[in-house]
Order: sequence, then structure tokens, then C-alpha cells
Amino acid sequence: MKGPFSPEPPRWADRFLEWYCRPELLEEIQGDAYELFDKRLLANGYKAARRAFVWDVLRSFRLSTIRRITYKFSPDMYKSNFKIAWRSLVKHKMYSAIKIGGFAIGIAACLLIALFIKDELSYDSNYPEAKRIFRVVAETTEGEFAGQGVDFPAPFAKALKDEFPEFEKVARINPNSLFTGGGNPIRRIDAAQNTYEEGFTFADQELLDILQIKMIYGDRKHALDEPNTIVISERKAQQYFPNENPVGKMLIANDNKDKPVKIGGVMANFPSTSHLQYDFLIAMKGVEFYNGEQSNWGASNYHTYVLLKPGVDIAKLEKKMFSVIIHKYMGAQMSKTELALVERSSRLYLQPINDIHLHSAEIHDGMRHGDIRFVWLFGAIAGFILLIACINFVNLSTARSSNRAKEVGLRKTVGSSRGALIGQFLSESLMFSWFSFVMGVILAWALLPYFNQLSNKTLQFPWLAWWFLPMMVLACLFVGMLAGLYPAFYLSGFNPINVLKGKLSKGSSNANLRSALVVFQFTTSIVLIIGTLIVTRQMNFILHKKLGFDKEQVLLLNGTQILGDNLPAFKNRLQQLPMVQSVAVSDYLPVAESKRNGNEFWEAGKDKEGNSSGTQIWQVDSDYIPTLGMKIVEGRNFSTAMKSDSQGVIINQALAKKLNLAPALGKRITNGGQSYQVIGVVEDFHFESLRENIGGMCLVLGNSSNVISVKIKGQDMQKAIQQISAIWKDLAPTQPIRTTFLDDSYAKMYADVRRMGYIFSNFAILAIVVACLGLFALSTYLAEQRRKEIGIRKVLGASVGSVMGLLVRNFLVLILISLFIAVPTAWYLMQKWLEDFVYRYHIRGDVFLLAGFSVILIALLTISVQALRSALSNPLDSLRNE
Amino acid sequence: MQRIHLGEFEELTLLFVAVLHGNAYGVAVMEEIEQQTGRAVNISAVHAALRRLEEKGYVNSEWSEATAQRGGRRKRLFSITQAGRAALEQSRDTYLKLWEQIPGMAPKISFS
Repeated sequence: MKGPFSPEPPRWADRFLEWYCRPELLEEIQGDAYELFDKRLLANGYKAARRAFVWDVLRSFRLSTIRRITYKFSPDMYKSNFKIAWRSLVKHKMYSAIKIGGFAIGIAACLLIALFIKDELSYDSNYPEAKRIFRVVAETTEGEFAGQGVDFPAPFAKALKDEFPEFEKVARINPNSLFTGGGNPIRRIDAAQNTYEEGFTFADQELLDILQIKMIYGDRKHALDEPNTIVISERKAQQYFPNENPVGKMLIANDNKDKPVKIGGVMANFPSTSHLQYDFLIAMKGVEFYNGEQSNWGASNYHTYVLLKPGVDIAKLEKKMFSVIIHKYMGAQMSKTELALVERSSRLYLQPINDIHLHSAEIHDGMRHGDIRFVWLFGAIAGFILLIACINFVNLSTARSSNRAKEVGLRKTVGSSRGALIGQFLSESLMFSWFSFVMGVILAWALLPYFNQLSNKTLQFPWLAWWFLPMMVLACLFVGMLAGLYPAFYLSGFNPINVLKGKLSKGSSNANLRSALVVFQFTTSIVLIIGTLIVTRQMNFILHKKLGFDKEQVLLLNGTQILGDNLPAFKNRLQQLPMVQSVAVSDYLPVAESKRNGNEFWEAGKDKEGNSSGTQIWQVDSDYIPTLGMKIVEGRNFSTAMKSDSQGVIINQALAKKLNLAPALGKRITNGGQSYQVIGVVEDFHFESLRENIGGMCLVLGNSSNVISVKIKGQDMQKAIQQISAIWKDLAPTQPIRTTFLDDSYAKMYADVRRMGYIFSNFAILAIVVACLGLFALSTYLAEQRRKEIGIRKVLGASVGSVMGLLVRNFLVLILISLFIAVPTAWYLMQKWLEDFVYRYHIRGDVFLLAGFSVILIALLTISVQALRSALSNPLDSLRNE
Repeated sequence: MQRIHLGEFEELTLLFVAVLHGNAYGVAVMEEIEQQTGRAVNISAVHAALRRLEEKGYVNSEWSEATAQRGGRRKRLFSITQAGRAALEQSRDTYLKLWEQIPGMAPKISFS
């Protein structure tokens, strides 16, 4: 077919055929396909013929027709590659050290964070039936009690078991310190001295069955099924009954001599990756905290865990559960409007036990959890640091390409293929990556204890885990490829004629890409630095915020209930100490991990609907407000002289405002059961985390005697504690005294913020160090390149300053661009983080200025070392030999 | 009995190579199959069958002279070998023997 228009089969299909087809078959297949194309062209037209051609080509793509991949393994070639790589590594020691060192730091950071993430993700996954274990969560979206919670009424679990065959087992735990969960003094029945232990909870026998906890001693199936039995952990068994089987032995908890508890079994310690961390499980069987408690649907104190039967439709079950529980069990106690509100705004759902650790940020369960957002954040930071290290590698390799250009040209001239050259450069980067990995792993191992401290974990280095070595090798290959691919293609692409003639402009051809990569490095570093600064500022804000109470100089004595009738005497004697300013007795303190309750209050005489507020009601004594340095803004404090004060209440400003009590004094408020007359209004004080708004608060006179707060005068805390301990010993010789400081307890609430600050600052330092290493090497190299130019300029009269400027200017522009990108990014990200807090530091410009100046300063210092050296060098040295 | 490694489509292809007698190449075999049996066949299937037959030694191939057609590419011409002929005969004999054993169904095949 010749002519102006010669119809051709699709070119891509033809080329595809030529690409895949074995050469010895190509002529036949291609020839036949062309012949068919020509025939079809006449018979069916152009388009159909082209379609058919494509179809033929695709159909011919068979195992028997495709090219055999010919791969010749030649050990000599590899040996040569690695020899050359080793030589170039040794020849340029500084650049090699920077490449490897930066890489090693990046890898160590990544490795540590990977271990951290792996640990976070492995929570609660090792129970045999973990896939079928769930925790019941209630969510409410409206009203005073909006939020998610896991506390359910005592009979809730039984109702679930009775109503729904889908549940194989249902178990409750009650770790609430109101009912002596949490921490308690305990001793062997044959010992006199109590020891204070944490980690108590009441639990059903079913908990052991659901989790299939391994037992060291005793029978799991019957360890908790009798009243007054207890299961203790292996470590506690070892502590109280070293090297013996304690099953059947007796313990005395809470000094309750009349009711010793029998050890029903010893369980294996909960693994560190379990959200449940208890050492003492007390049998729920036969326990009734007050009359009718076990059948009371009005009080919610029980966490409920369930084991589903296999193959249950969870969404359906959740709906059914909610409807039956609300209508059959709880509806009777609710008014119509309440019922409607609950139906509209609440639901029950089943949270998989694996999710509890990382996905419970919104759930109020009184436990410490991880946060999936931190896992992401950490992962991102690790990735960025590794990228920064990779960029150093790419930048140095391409910048110094001219040093290798002659080599490439010569190799090509004597017949090396591009593929072989790529192979050579890749083996070089693999070698670097290998050295870096060895160093990085050692570095990570050495830093692990420090990192554990930083992240509050007990990670082990998994030398012996089956996946560790293969993972490392794979990661080493991957990172080596990632860093080496671009330089390999770039270097191997040189035209031999040009480079051998010396036409390749030195190191400049890729300046744009290099600049972009430097900008990326510094943007990342600056974001991390700004992040560090803002987290630190927020922590300072938290620590120095006016809280409405004075947390300094307050010593807390815990577990004072044990003094019993001696308590008033104890308080009296404390008050007589010259170092003690005042003493208050109350379990309720404005820091986390102290006692809490929930109530609804409204003004007496008004309708509850629409006029109520969720409120804490704290039993305190008349010394409470002065001891904690709270301020009465209206009315007066409680007085021991006035009998009527037992019916009085001091409310906070928030409650007064919510209930519209103006003026508040003299008004009566009620929670349905009891009503109180307002005798005073206290200034709002933060009794919950600064993440939350200040809620309603009622202070009433009452007896809650497990914590005594002592306000100390003067600086000598040690002496004060000694004096107080002496009095304690006198009154309670068998009990250990437990003291904490209020400001420590307060700071503990924000341990996560502090930890985040530490982590941020550490990784920010790492990032900037790695980035500066790269910058240093790059500037050194460019200064080297311009030695002659600088020599000539100096000969012609350039000053040191102008030469410096010449060398520094370009980098400075890059840093400024990075700042420009980093500031809004950091602002946005940190604003998002700060939104967690109702009370927060407001980001001001000085943070950005500070970060900007420090980065510019660090970068300038880095560059200047070399710039100055070049600027000061004697031009004779650089111009002497031509 | 000597095993014959002939698939159904291979046997068909081999028959057509014999039929086309010296003029058998991919497209020709394909068109002949389509015309005489009414089966739509893709060229790649014919190629595969021819390749297998050659591997088994039932056909030989040689290149034709190059012509202006087919973009100047040569044809690969196949011819049946002695072994191929023997395989076809054996196959036919087996069929015949079996046909004769079917009661009331005398073979109506005539060989000319």
C-alpha cells in the first residue's frame, strides 16, 4: 500500500509486540499480523482492521512468545562495583561521613519510632478470642451528660446476658475508687504492717473467662466465683508469698480485719500492651456496696466487657441492645421527655478490645490511653527525618557529579552500557545504606533507654524477633534504592564526548532540584522547631495559669481513712505544728485521679427540664477553701459555729451563671433528693483538665476523709514532712504514710503534653542536625568549586565581606523561602493541636520570629565556616597551579 | 500402543498443514480452518499450535522468499513430517476402530 495515505496498524501495538516478542518468533508473528491487517483493511475498513490488529497482538502475548529475561550474574562485576564504591567512599572522607552519619541518624530515629508504633498497635491483641471481645460504650450527643462513657449500672450486664443470645459471656469490672478500687493498703493476715498497693478492681469471674487469662496457680474457671476471693498477679504473689503457692491463703485489705479475702488464684501479669493493668481482682460475687445496689439502674459504675458468639451482626445487635435496655429496663424511671431525649441522642456501641488503647480519646473511662493521632504524628516525623537524610545523599551525589563525570565518560567510551553504570552507582548507594544501617541500628539500640524514658514505654530491642533481620535487610535495600536511584540515572546519563571534553558545567546543572530539596529539608526542620516552641509555651501556660486555687506548698496525705476515729485528733495535732498553715480534710481535689461524682442541680421550685446543670458535689470541711487558696467572691465560707451550714452550699460562678442565680445568696438549689441554701459563691477554679470548660460545682460540708491537704508555711518541705510523719507514726504505727504534692499531681495531669514537648524538641534537633550536615557539605563543596573564582576576585580587590556575601547569599534565599512555607504550615498544624484545649496559649508572632531567627542563625553558622575559610584563603594558593 | 501427543486443535492444524501442502503458514492455516470448519480462530492460537507441533517433530518449517507484502517480512512455511503423517494415521485408525464397535453405526467414511 503506497500512496499519500498509507494506513498503518497502531504504532504502540506494533512496538509492544516488538518489545515483548522473542526475536526468533517476531518475524512470523509480526508478518502474519500485518498480512491480516492488510486483508481486513480491504474487507472491514481501517478502524476494524486496527482493532483486530491490537487484538491479535494482545492475544499473542503468551508465556511461550515473550522474551526470556536474560540475566547474567557476574560476581566479578559486583566485586568491581563494590571496590570502586569503597574507593570513592574512602577518598572523600568528609562527604562520606556526612552521608553515612546523616543516614544513620535518620534510620535510628525511624527505627525507634517504628518500635514505638508497633508497640502502640499491638495493644490488647494477644487474647485468644480478641476478635470477639468488645467493651460496651454509651454515647450521648445532647444535654448535660453529652459525651461517651463506659460506666453502666450493676444489673446491665445481667440484662444483656438474659436478653440476647448473641453474647457468649458478659463481665463487669468496677475499678472506681469510690468502692475501694484503685489503690488500697493490704497485708498478709499474719503480718502487722500494711503496704499500699495500686491496681485494685472488682471483677466478675467471667472476665477471666473472656480474656482467658493465664493462671500461674489455681483454676481459672473457679478463681473468682466465690464471695471474698481475690486473684492476684504473679509479681504481687512473688512479693507477698515468695516461691510458694498462695492459693487459699488470706489477705487483709483496707485494714478490714473482720473480712479477710481468700486468694483464689494467681494470674500472669497483664502484658504491658494491655489497657487493663490490674494486680488485684476482687470477686464481685456477693458484693453489694449498699442496700439494693446490685439491682439499681440509677447508678452507673461498671465497665462492661462482652464476648460475642461468632458471626454476630454487630450493628444490628447494637440497635437491639439499646432499644431493649431503654424500654424494658430504664424507661420506668424516666419521664416522657427524658425518654424522648435519650432515644433521640443516645446510642450504645461495641468497641473492639483492640481499639480501646488508641481510639478512646473521646471516651471518659478514667484510664490512660494512647492516641492514634500521636501514632500518625510520630510516623510522619520519622518519615520526614529519613527523607531529609535521603535528600542529603541525593544532593551531595548530584552536586559532586563533576568529580565522577570523567569516570562515567571513560567507562562509556570503553563500552559500558548505561544499565551497568546505573548498577554501579546503585551498588555504591547500597553500600552507603548498608554502613548507615549498621550504624543506625547500633545508635537506636544505644538510645533506646533514653527513648523509653521519653515515650514512657518499656520497649525492648527485638534482636531475636524473626522479622527483625529480614526487615532490616529489606529496609536497607529500599532506602539505598530510594536515595541512589536519582543520582544513578543522573550520573549515568552523561554524554561521554561532552564530559571528556570538559564541557559539563560544574555542579550547576541540577541547581534547581537541589535548591528545592534544601528548601524541603529546612521547611521540615522549621515546622518541627515551631512545633516544639508552641508545645513548650502551652506547657508553660498550663503550669502558670491562674487556676482559681493555689497549688503550691500543699502537701497531700493519702489514705487517711485508715486513721478512723483518730482523724480529728490527727488534724488537731497537725494544726498545732508551726510550719502548718492550715489543714483540710476532703477526698475531692482539683486535680485528676482524685474523687469525682456526677449530679444534676437546679433551682428549687423550678422545673428540672431545661433549668438543670451537670454539677459536682464535693464534701469538704470549713478549712478547705483557705487551705487551697480559693477565693470567695460573694457570701462567706462555712463556719463550724453555725449549725445551719450543714444545709448550706458554696457554689462556683459557673453554676451561678448556668442556673441564672443572680444574686445567688440565699437561693435554694436541689438535686432532687436534697436541697441546699447558697451561702457563698467561690471564684471559678479549674478542677478538671484545661482541655475542658469549668463545669458546675457545689461545695458542701461533709465527711470524706481519705485525703488530707496540708498547706505548709516556709521553704523547708523536708522538715515539714518529717514532723507530719512523726505524728502519723504515733497514731497509725502499722500504716505506711503516703504523701504527694498538689503541684506534682497537677503537673501529672499534663504529662502527655510535656512528653510531646520532649519528643518534639528531640526530633526537631535531629532534623536540624541532619539538615545542617547536608548544608555544610553542600556549601563546602560549592566553595571548593569556586576557589579559583574567589582567588581572582581577591586579587582584583574584593573584600572578605563581599566574598562571604557571594557564598552565603544563595543559601540564605533558600532558608527564607523555607520559612515562608513553614510558618503557615506550622501555624495551621499547631492551631489544630491547641484546639484540644479550651484554655490555651494563643499563638503569637514571636514564636515564628524566634524559630526563624534561630534557624537562620544556625544555617549561617554552618555555611559561614566554609565561606569564611574560602574568603580568608590566600589567593596565591588557589591560583598557583593551573 | 504408542502414545500420540495430539490435542484436538493440534490435530486439526496438522491436518490443514497437510492439506495446504507446502503452502501452509499462519494466516493460510487460519483462513482454511475458518472456511472449512466455520470455527473463528485467532492467529495466536494457530501460531501456538504450529509451535507445539514443530517441537513434537510433526512439522518442519522453512522461510519463504521475502516479498513486498507483509512489510517485507518472510513467511514461515510448514510442511508435515513422516512422524506427523504417522500420528495422523494412527489417530484415524483409532477412531475408525472405535466407530466400528458402535452397534448400528457403520462408518460412512470413505477414503479416496
